[in-house]
Amino acid sequence: MEHLSLFTLNKTIGEALAKNLEPSYWVVAEIGEMRHNQKGHCYLELVEKEDDKIKAKSRATIWSYTYRNLSGWFESLTGQSLSAGMKILCNVTVQYHEVYGFSLNIRDIDAQYTLGERAKRRQEILQKLMDDGVFEMNKELNLPIVPQRIAVISSKTAAGFGDFMDQLTGNEFGFQFDIQLFQSTMQGDQAAASIIESMHQVFSSTDDFDLLVIIRGGGASLDLDCFDSYELGSHIAQFPLPVVTGIGHERDETVADMVAHTKMKTPTAVAEFIISGVRNYEMKLEEHFNTLVNKLNETIEEDISKLSLLSFRFQRNTQKLLNEQHLILNQREQTLKFGHQNALKFHERKLDELKYILSKHPKRLVQKQQSMLDHLDKELNVLDPEQVFKRGYSITTVNGINIHQLKQIEKGANITTITENLVLESTIAKSKQRKKS
Amino acid sequence: MAAKKFNYKNALEEIEGIVQKIESEEVEMDELTTMVKRAADLIKQCKSKLKDTGQELENIIENLDE
Repeated sequence: MEHLSLFTLNKTIGEALAKNLEPSYWVVAEIGEMRHNQKGHCYLELVEKEDDKIKAKSRATIWSYTYRNLSGWFESLTGQSLSAGMKILCNVTVQYHEVYGFSLNIRDIDAQYTLGERAKRRQEILQKLMDDGVFEMNKELNLPIVPQRIAVISSKTAAGFGDFMDQLTGNEFGFQFDIQLFQSTMQGDQAAASIIESMHQVFSSTDDFDLLVIIRGGGASLDLDCFDSYELGSHIAQFPLPVVTGIGHERDETVADMVAHTKMKTPTAVAEFIISGVRNYEMKLEEHFNTLVNKLNETIEEDISKLSLLSFRFQRNTQKLLNEQHLILNQREQTLKFGHQNALKFHERKLDELKYILSKHPKRLVQKQQSMLDHLDKELNVLDPEQVFKRGYSITTVNGINIHQLKQIEKGANITTITENLVLESTIAKSKQRKKS
Repeated sequence: MAAKKFNYKNALEEIEGIVQKIESEEVEMDELTTMVKRAADLIKQCKSKLKDTGQELENIIENLDE
């Protein structure tokens, strides 16, 4: 039977391919697997999927010289290194080797396609989040005035986390922060799920924190695909605490950045953002304090000048009052000086009057008595019978009765008449009534 | 009897009483001397009191200016 050696066959296949194929093709494929060897060559598995099922698969290589140039250029343009899961547009030549078989040699990659693919995918995720009505949710939360209790999702060993901690704990203002790290894988296929798991842990003690910070390790690798995950974006958007991202890239925003409350470029920038928030509050406090102090000083100065004015008025009025009182006292003193003399004189005059009365009146009383006595003496003299006898009068009695007491006397009656020198006994010869003129 | 503290007002009232009695001529001759003597004595005491009071007031007023 006619037959070919395997080598001849393989060589024939190689020749047929070389004859029928174009020197190179631009092919769209997804990187299924990727690895490098010591010489710097890159070995890939390119796939095409439909509904997660592999529809086509080819081995591919990028020789080390090409790979060094391509990967550097690709990274600088996309901010990402070539990695599994990435959809690329590459220029390939089809190769068939008698020993190694069929493979594609990648000679060029169109980074713009990858960028566009990623942007398209990101746009789809964002649109879905908007359709869900959650896109703005985290942004609508209020940042706490002084965020001090901070939950951090990061990798403990990562340089970015170290930078973040150094910045926060060594802040020049001496602010204290209570930071709790929730460990997570921050790159690769598992990153999104790991971050979501950590978010569940933070969620279970939401009341202990003011803020959730998601920071990435940094370093050489710039794999950001995990942050363009719909699941992670949805979780961040609906998280009950404000989320601040510091994923560590300069060029564009990931979905995680876009739904977070605040996006900062690096972990250090996140720390500065937190510190500046506290600092702003402190400055506001200082401003209020200064305003208060100034106001107080103003008030004190006003009060001092008020008091000075009062003191001046008080002194002036007091002096006036004292002067007035002094004048009144002087007047009173004068009144007293002369008044008491007047009072004394008044009493003296009164006493003198009484003395005068006493010196005159009793004498007059005595004189009056004297003259009364004199008068009585005179009257007594007039009435004395001896004196009457001397003046020639006599007293006649009838039987001892005074004759003037009788109305008539019988004839022959005996009467006795007494004169100054004689006692006469007579008999009545005749009596008749005397006619009084 | 212990010397009662001299009271100018009472003394003056007594003097005036005596003078009134004498002026109204109600006075008994037997009492007249006694009464006049009493009044004269009281007047003397009153005058002395006035003099002392005057002196005392002068002193007080003099001290006011110090």
